[in-house]
Amino acid sequence: MMRLRSWITRFIFRKANLRLALVSGNPKRKRGTSHDPFSVAYISNDPWVPQWRGLSIAVLLVGFLLPRALCADSKLEKFFAQNCVKCHGPEEQNGEVRLDNPVDTLFADQELLESIATVVEAGEMPPEGEPQPKAESVAEIMQLLQKRIFAMRPDNPLKRLTRVEYTNTIHDLLGVEFDFAGLLPPDHVEHGFDKFGEAHLMSPHQVMAYLKTARFIAERVLPDAKPKTRTWEFDVRHFHGSKNFATGGGGDYRDGEDYVLTGFRPYRSNLHFSIDPESHKQFAVPAFGVYRLEVKAHSEKSNEGEVIGINLGDGRHPTSFRTIRRIALAHGSNGFTTEITLKANDQLAFTFDSARVPGRSLVKIPHKGPAMRFTHLKVTGPVADQWPTKAMKAILPKPNMRPTELVDHIALLLTQRPIMAEDRKAFVEIARSQKNSGASMTATARSVLIALLTSPHFIYKAESPELTGVERAHRLSYFLWNSAPDTALLNAAKSGVLRKDPTAEVERMLNDARSGRFIDDFTRQWLQLDKVGNFGPDVRVFKNVRRMTVDSMGREGRELFRHLLKNNMSMEHFIDSDFVMVNDRLARFYGLPAVKGDAFVPVKLPEKSERGGLVAQAGFLKLTSTDFATSPIHRGSWILKNLYNERIEPPADVLINEPDIRGTATIREAILKHQELESCSRCHSKIDPLGFALEYYDPVGRKRSEYRHVEELPVEREGTTFTKKIHFTKVPIDAAMKLPNGREVRDLPTLKAALMADRERILKGIIGKLISYAHGREVTRADRPHVDAVFESIAQENSSLRAAIHAIVAHPAFGRK
Amino acid sequence: MKRRTLLKGAGIALLLPCMESLGQVSQADSPRRLLTIVNHLSFYQPELIPQADGAFKNPPPLLAELSDHFDHLKIFSGLNNPAVQNGFGHTPCVGILSGYFNKLHRKNRLSIDQAIADLIGADTRFKSLVFQAGENLNFSQISWDKHGLPVKQIDSPRKIFNLLFQVDENEKTQQQVLAEDRSILDAVFAQAKSMEKRLNATDRAKMDEYLTSVREVEQTVKRRAYWADRSKPQVNYELEDIDRKSVDDYVGTLLELAVLALETDSTRAVTVQIPFWEGFKEPALSGNYHDLSHHGQKAEKIKKLLMLEHAILKQINSSLNTMKQRTVGNSSLFDQTTTLLTASMGSANSHNFDDLPALVFDSRMKTAGHRKKKDAPMSNLYLSLLQQFGAEHDRFGESTGSFEVLS
Repeated sequence: MMRLRSWITRFIFRKANLRLALVSGNPKRKRGTSHDPFSVAYISNDPWVPQWRGLSIAVLLVGFLLPRALCADSKLEKFFAQNCVKCHGPEEQNGEVRLDNPVDTLFADQELLESIATVVEAGEMPPEGEPQPKAESVAEIMQLLQKRIFAMRPDNPLKRLTRVEYTNTIHDLLGVEFDFAGLLPPDHVEHGFDKFGEAHLMSPHQVMAYLKTARFIAERVLPDAKPKTRTWEFDVRHFHGSKNFATGGGGDYRDGEDYVLTGFRPYRSNLHFSIDPESHKQFAVPAFGVYRLEVKAHSEKSNEGEVIGINLGDGRHPTSFRTIRRIALAHGSNGFTTEITLKANDQLAFTFDSARVPGRSLVKIPHKGPAMRFTHLKVTGPVADQWPTKAMKAILPKPNMRPTELVDHIALLLTQRPIMAEDRKAFVEIARSQKNSGASMTATARSVLIALLTSPHFIYKAESPELTGVERAHRLSYFLWNSAPDTALLNAAKSGVLRKDPTAEVERMLNDARSGRFIDDFTRQWLQLDKVGNFGPDVRVFKNVRRMTVDSMGREGRELFRHLLKNNMSMEHFIDSDFVMVNDRLARFYGLPAVKGDAFVPVKLPEKSERGGLVAQAGFLKLTSTDFATSPIHRGSWILKNLYNERIEPPADVLINEPDIRGTATIREAILKHQELESCSRCHSKIDPLGFALEYYDPVGRKRSEYRHVEELPVEREGTTFTKKIHFTKVPIDAAMKLPNGREVRDLPTLKAALMADRERILKGIIGKLISYAHGREVTRADRPHVDAVFESIAQENSSLRAAIHAIVAHPAFGRK
Repeated sequence: MKRRTLLKGAGIALLLPCMESLGQVSQADSPRRLLTIVNHLSFYQPELIPQADGAFKNPPPLLAELSDHFDHLKIFSGLNNPAVQNGFGHTPCVGILSGYFNKLHRKNRLSIDQAIADLIGADTRFKSLVFQAGENLNFSQISWDKHGLPVKQIDSPRKIFNLLFQVDENEKTQQQVLAEDRSILDAVFAQAKSMEKRLNATDRAKMDEYLTSVREVEQTVKRRAYWADRSKPQVNYELEDIDRKSVDDYVGTLLELAVLALETDSTRAVTVQIPFWEGFKEPALSGNYHDLSHHGQKAEKIKKLLMLEHAILKQINSSLNTMKQRTVGNSSLFDQTTTLLTASMGSANSHNFDDLPALVFDSRMKTAGHRKKKDAPMSNLYLSLLQQFGAEHDRFGESTGSFEVLS
């Protein structure tokens, strides 16, 4: 009793505001378009109301709360004792879960609370075959659990800028397009996104990376002298490639005025250029800056657009070869001009990315396919459209600034937040000592910039419990632009408009080109389609699937998202649609009417087509397969995780017990065998049917009517050929399986119908993904009011994706840490 | 390949760095060094662990790859990490060297390689170096410092080579830059301290990670300033292009660099993690390593998996041989080095984090052979190693005692 009282008091003090939600107690409060039980009960949306007022009210309420809470607790405990403790108690602790403790100890583990609510709600526990509690008692318990969950709003720990956010922010503030790939460590993805503060573990090497990156930036945006712009011209005499490489296609060669590329070989010598015709010394960029490339090139023996890759790395021995840009050359084009930011000593090389990868045959066969002819290249740089540059003017608006003035100015420039006086001293000291030692104003500004870019002031996105205007602007701009807010947004935030009615700002931001970064970053992480090229395709098995087809597959999900967002269309199209977004290569792959060019356009599907929706996209189907085989488990869990936003992880006590699948011929038998284990079946009964229904689609996402088992035969040398032979066996497909709710799915159309029947759950799942991304933390059941309110408010608007984003931002929860 | 020819040929000509300034290499009592190797996807244990306890008679095929070193090898089997939480895919692998993993905590605990580096790393250019063959993912971090924060793991042979041997052209400005770095670190530390006061408890914990990290970086910068004026060792070693999907190339090169780092006394503690995700595909076999590790007891998959494991052990064996050939001071590198080889999982087929194997190579060992240690904590072995390196601890992680390693 005493323990309970002290726990409750502690809890109230800690979360005084939120507590009131529970106290006010009417869970059936009508849910308006913008209200949830907890925003109504929230003490105040005005951050100026002193916290202690809430506290004292809460303290007064302890007396009322206690008996109610006690009663609720004993009800929960009784329910557990009756229904759960047999397997989760002193005797057995299935899943390492034990529920015979007082609820306040139990629910200190927020995740346990979540999982209990989830399995009880879904009727997964108590399991089939055990005595089931009455429906009304389940409903009552659910209410109590839900109340608890709402009261325990998840923490949203301090977040730092991700590498992409950092890059975009620097670009928007200073107007320079940096590539920090080798400087900043990549961010870890947890529960789907890299934006979660929880997962941002700081470390010495991360801090060291910030320091190095800051120096890298400062030395380049604040140079001591204007770099000289130069021009270099290269023609066939300077061009080199792998001309002697026997490729089954003749290799690359010089022909008259042109250098001709016929294949794609990222790990071989590629088209590079020497500084003069006689020497083989490669051209290297002399200084950091923007370089203009004017390329004269055209394709031949091709009747479609082709793709050229611009790469960094030694073109002769591509050790750390990296494609930095792809240029889609339209059919009949004579070349292109592009601007690209390069750093000193970068070496450029061109690849013919849409060409086929040559086989390893040593027999020389004349090349028949498309070829790319390079005639001329002109490099100009570093080009600066103004001097002093935009960055220099932004950092040093006046030729002479006092140390405090300089620090305040740069701090404000970097985060749009003034630096607190007590935080400022050490930076002012740096500026002062630089100045005293006779350093130039530019050198002084460089030091201050390095220090501030390394400081928590810049790298962390601090948020108050109730976001201030500027913090709200930051949350919104890192959501929709993945970068810092601009002046207009900050003004809207400061005037309070953003809190009252964000519609106009959200609309403006979605129409701005910067929203493309949100689309890229969100879909990359949500759909993981950037990984679609990680495996195969094995050219021996999938002869017609080329690199650029795979590349297009990886872009399809993103383009669908872009199309729905732009045209105010329903999120239902993620489940199923009567059109697909395709470019030339993907249209051909899907067997649709020809589309011209590399850009994605909507194409209406023929009546019979099974395509449409994310689960029918080749990218998803390929992503979830390995070189030769599909993986129904990967496919099923992808659907659960990414569409239903379900959390599936192997339970803690499951030792997979060395699944023994000897003697099983088909993948179905193998997996059913695995399902026999009781510990696996709870999740796999959900995962497997979803995945199996897709078995009529092969590892690259083409329709198939039977399995082709691939077996590699021992290498046989025939003269100079050493290609490995493979052998196929055909096995019939049996994809039908029952979902836990009894519904049978047997192929793609029935799967999509089943998903459509779950429309509400899936749309809420997608809304949850968007909220996670926006808030930088995992969405839990405590966010249900937010998710539900968004879902309901867009119901009238055809469940449009755009309306969902508006509703997410307009909801009061968006303004809370 | 050029790289390999060079090594097998004339051996390596070395100019050791500033021996006189450190003054230990020529002493009769040579310094102790540590090489830790962790194979993420484990080994197929039926072919690694002998049936019987004691001396190696009829070693199973995988173990036989290491027969050159049977006089100086103890293999411990059946070890356990009781504080590593099970489940969650590969994530618990982060706890192999610390004996700890809890999914609610991102921070870990001090890992054994860093614990030993803290003891022996004061006099070298790098306190420790950690390499890994593969992309950095959230379950690939195995090296943790005394604050439980991740230690940088380098996956690029080129970067490692440059760190160890490449002379920085801007060396003249180096000291000036490092001095400025120090004043910047002071400033950001002060700002973080001041900002911390305004944060709530969870955010303060985050800021604390930052503060701790800045303090550590200050130490690194100090060390760099000391070493910036001292030239790097020169080696007759040419780094060739490597194929990241080849065991011989990727693992082989990382191990060669590890041996070179120890031999040149650039550091005395090197950790190498071998393959975990992107998978090796040898020319003669198809299928990726992770996929093969989930063999489901299918003979044909196990056969392929074993090809990769044999290839890995061949590389390790050859590194140990190289260490025996190289002389530093008046004994061989092998004589000065304790080598620990272990695996992040008992079996990658079932993702279990117990039944772990650990192999210790040490020339001072009196008896060699297999020691069954069913369910003993891995930390017991770690404690013994720590004590051998001069620590006075009587506990490490979850240890309940220590093993006789050298007897």
